[in-house]
Amino acid sequence: MKKASSPTRFLTLSLIVVAVLCILVFGFLALYMDSHNKDTINEVGAIYMTGMSERITMHFDTTIDYNLSQLQGVADAFPPDSRLSAEELREQLIYDARARGFTYLAFYSQDGEIEPLFGPSLQLSDPEPFLESLNQNRDRIAVATTPGGSRMMVLGVPASYDMDGGKTCTALLGALPMEYIQKILSLDTMENESSLVYCHVIRRDGSFVIRSGDAFRDSYFERVRALFEGLNEAEAEQHVANLQKAMSAGEPYSNILNVKGARRHLYCTSLPYSNWYLVTVMPFGRLDLIVNQLSSQWIGMVLGSCAIILCALLLVFAKYFSITHQQITALADAKAQAEQASKAKSEFLSNMSHDIRTPMNAIVGMTAIATANLKNPQQVQNCLRKIALSSKHLLGLINDVLDMSKIESGKLTLSMDLLSLREVMDSIVNIVQPQVRAKNQHFDVSVHSILAENVLCDGVRLNQVLINLLSNAVKFTPDGGSIHIALYQEPSPKGDAYIRSHILVQDNGIGMAPEFQEKIFDSFVREDRTRVQKTEGTGLGMAITKYIIDMMEGSIELKSTVGEGTEFHVTLDLEKADTPELEMILPNWRMLVVDDDEVLCQSTADSLKEIGIDADWTLDGESAIRMVERQHQLRDNYHIILLDWKLPGMDGIQTARELRRRCGSDVPILLISAYDWGEIEAQARDAGISGFISKPLFKSTLFYGLRQFASGGKEGAPSPEAVPSQERVDLTGRHVLLAEDNDLNWEIAAELLAELGLVLDRAENGQICVDMFLHSNVGYYDAVLMDVRMPVMTGIQATEAIRAMGRSDAKEIPIIAMTADAFAEDVQRCLDCGMNAHVAKPIDVDTVARLLEKHIRMRKG
Amino acid sequence: MTLKECYEKMEANYDEVIGRLRSERLVQKFALKFLDDPSYQLLITSMEEKNYEEAFRAAHTIKGVCQNLGFTCLGDSSSALTESLRSGWTPEADRLLEQTKADYQNTVTPLQSLKDSQQ
Repeated sequence: MKKASSPTRFLTLSLIVVAVLCILVFGFLALYMDSHNKDTINEVGAIYMTGMSERITMHFDTTIDYNLSQLQGVADAFPPDSRLSAEELREQLIYDARARGFTYLAFYSQDGEIEPLFGPSLQLSDPEPFLESLNQNRDRIAVATTPGGSRMMVLGVPASYDMDGGKTCTALLGALPMEYIQKILSLDTMENESSLVYCHVIRRDGSFVIRSGDAFRDSYFERVRALFEGLNEAEAEQHVANLQKAMSAGEPYSNILNVKGARRHLYCTSLPYSNWYLVTVMPFGRLDLIVNQLSSQWIGMVLGSCAIILCALLLVFAKYFSITHQQITALADAKAQAEQASKAKSEFLSNMSHDIRTPMNAIVGMTAIATANLKNPQQVQNCLRKIALSSKHLLGLINDVLDMSKIESGKLTLSMDLLSLREVMDSIVNIVQPQVRAKNQHFDVSVHSILAENVLCDGVRLNQVLINLLSNAVKFTPDGGSIHIALYQEPSPKGDAYIRSHILVQDNGIGMAPEFQEKIFDSFVREDRTRVQKTEGTGLGMAITKYIIDMMEGSIELKSTVGEGTEFHVTLDLEKADTPELEMILPNWRMLVVDDDEVLCQSTADSLKEIGIDADWTLDGESAIRMVERQHQLRDNYHIILLDWKLPGMDGIQTARELRRRCGSDVPILLISAYDWGEIEAQARDAGISGFISKPLFKSTLFYGLRQFASGGKEGAPSPEAVPSQERVDLTGRHVLLAEDNDLNWEIAAELLAELGLVLDRAENGQICVDMFLHSNVGYYDAVLMDVRMPVMTGIQATEAIRAMGRSDAKEIPIIAMTADAFAEDVQRCLDCGMNAHVAKPIDVDTVARLLEKHIRMRKG
Repeated sequence: MTLKECYEKMEANYDEVIGRLRSERLVQKFALKFLDDPSYQLLITSMEEKNYEEAFRAAHTIKGVCQNLGFTCLGDSSSALTESLRSGWTPEADRLLEQTKADYQNTVTPLQSLKDSQQ
């Protein structure tokens, strides 16, 4: 069992390993991609931020430049040295400045005094650097606050206008509302949702010049610290320090801040015309959202494909597993079957050795007894009889085993030959009779609806089948039981050349259990029941029977009930023999058939009608007597009466006696029976019975049985002998070529065949035989008798050579094998190579003569 | 010695051969000729030369002759030998050859004495 589960374990293990591997690989992929996402975003953010800052700085620059040039324009249009009066000049400046969009204009003195021309009074937020730059004659910007608290962007260009109080100003100041700048620069991105960034403008100390978004402290540094308050203050300090360091070094600064899980990208760069810095901030929130969406989609896809691959894998494994499982099951089944077969064989062997030993013991024992009693012939005879019986039994066992081994090695072949069913039935009835008599059983044979008596079949094997079925019936039927064999025919579905023959063997014996019926046709099986134990046999009989019937392309069916009996039904489609049936005609007699089997009566009456006889029939003795008496009174006596021996009520013997008493002795009364005539002859003769016809009653049985009564000839009946006489062939003077290498065999054959009047020529081997035939005149030889084993050329080769000749008689000359090989296979080989027939040695003159007659006649006819 | 006694000594079937050949004269004529039959010598030589094909044919011929003459005993042993040589040499062939030799002697000896008694 350990073996059986190991592939399963291996499969499960490898499935788990592959699944884990799959999950690991896909998990790693997902994580790797995720982490790289962040890096990529940071990188993209940095590039974007740099670009963004540059753009904003440039924009700032341009805007400031433009406004400074506008202010410069105002100053240039109305320079201080124009011929206008101071009053007019101021009016012109105000007018021009308003036209150019300024909301404020003032003179700025060298010491920082402001003389406003128009607009609200302004408080500069950080006047010192502003003043210093302007005094050094450079353009500059600054931030100022109105009394109302709103912030203004103040631009200054150097100019020297006269101020009130006699001073000369150092610069002309113009201001624009801070909102304008913010709008122009789009610094406050909170209003603009589509933009990702927002900016602050700060001074170096961190205080805001322009602030946007949610900044609420005055200093950017304060704001950063506030953002990190309670979280990671050291990081905030670090960030501020780094930022200040970058500011003083005049380098752009880029960093990523992580505030409460939200990442922001920060970029800081200095702005022109001021010591201001632009801080661009990009919260990653939106970007992160998009990328996270992408990332979660990606992970979803990865997990999905992982799941699909796992499913596919699982499916493949499941399929593979089920296939493996099936194979294992099939293997186990095959193993079980093999074990079963091997067990059956060993059981069979042990049974067989027991079965063989029993008769063997009898033989050995009886031989010993006989040897000890040589002086007592009666004792010896008794022993010999028992030895003969045991030997016969032993031979039967061995024959079965040999047949079975032939079947198992596929060497059993059928030799189809002309066969008379009548002869087959007669012979098996004769064989079974002693067994039936010994057990005092009732035995009956019936044939009806016979359409073709002569068929082509392997007679030996058919006999084997029938004897096997019948002896089983006898064996398994208790004393006094009854056994019935029936034969009938009907047209075959295989065509007109065939005849379907049914053979029924019935008994009322012990029957078989249904489980045993299923395996009765298997090899080496015998029913294991105590009442069968004492019955000997190999258990091969039914297997052999089934095999032979299968070879004959027939079928066998079984009906059986325990305690009630068994019926075997064999169906064979036999080829009809094309031998012309002898014309069977008897005088137009009137006959009476008496039998208790109605089918048999009807069938017999039909057969008799074909022979030319009118027959009445009846089922019992009493009515038979009445019918005979009536005909007697009508002076129209039956010519012959057929009487069954076993009849209900009055039996055949009694009926015959009664008939003789009433009608005298001139009517032949024939007994019909399946029993041996010998045992009842004396009794029957005594009762006045004239003769006996053995069942089964074929047409030919009836013809040959009744023919003798025709010779007494009434009303000029045709002599039946006259019909077949023309079939006789006279062999005198026929030329026969005999191929035989052995001198002695040749002499014997020559001596024997010379009696038939044949003219024999000898060929010493196959080659000589071929040459002699080749050099003979066409039609000179009437037949060739051919030994098979010869030197130089075998009989088989010689036959093939003769058949291959172009002569007109080469194809049709009868070639008959005469050899010591007598197996069906040898016979088949002879017939296959073109020979017409086969006779086994020793040479039997009658057989050879009959075959020569037959084949010479066929050639002529 | 009569022919019947000779057949009994050879463990041969006298009744069968008489039934078939129908005349004691014929049987005796052929039976005595068996002494001159070359097949046995051919069998022995072939076996010694390990020419098993020829040996098979010789054994086969002996079997045929024995069947014709009703020499049951020698017929049986030569038949067994034939089968053991049918498809070349088999392990039992040598044993069967010894059996055939023994049966041959068993057959030839009575025949020889029958021949001697006739002269």
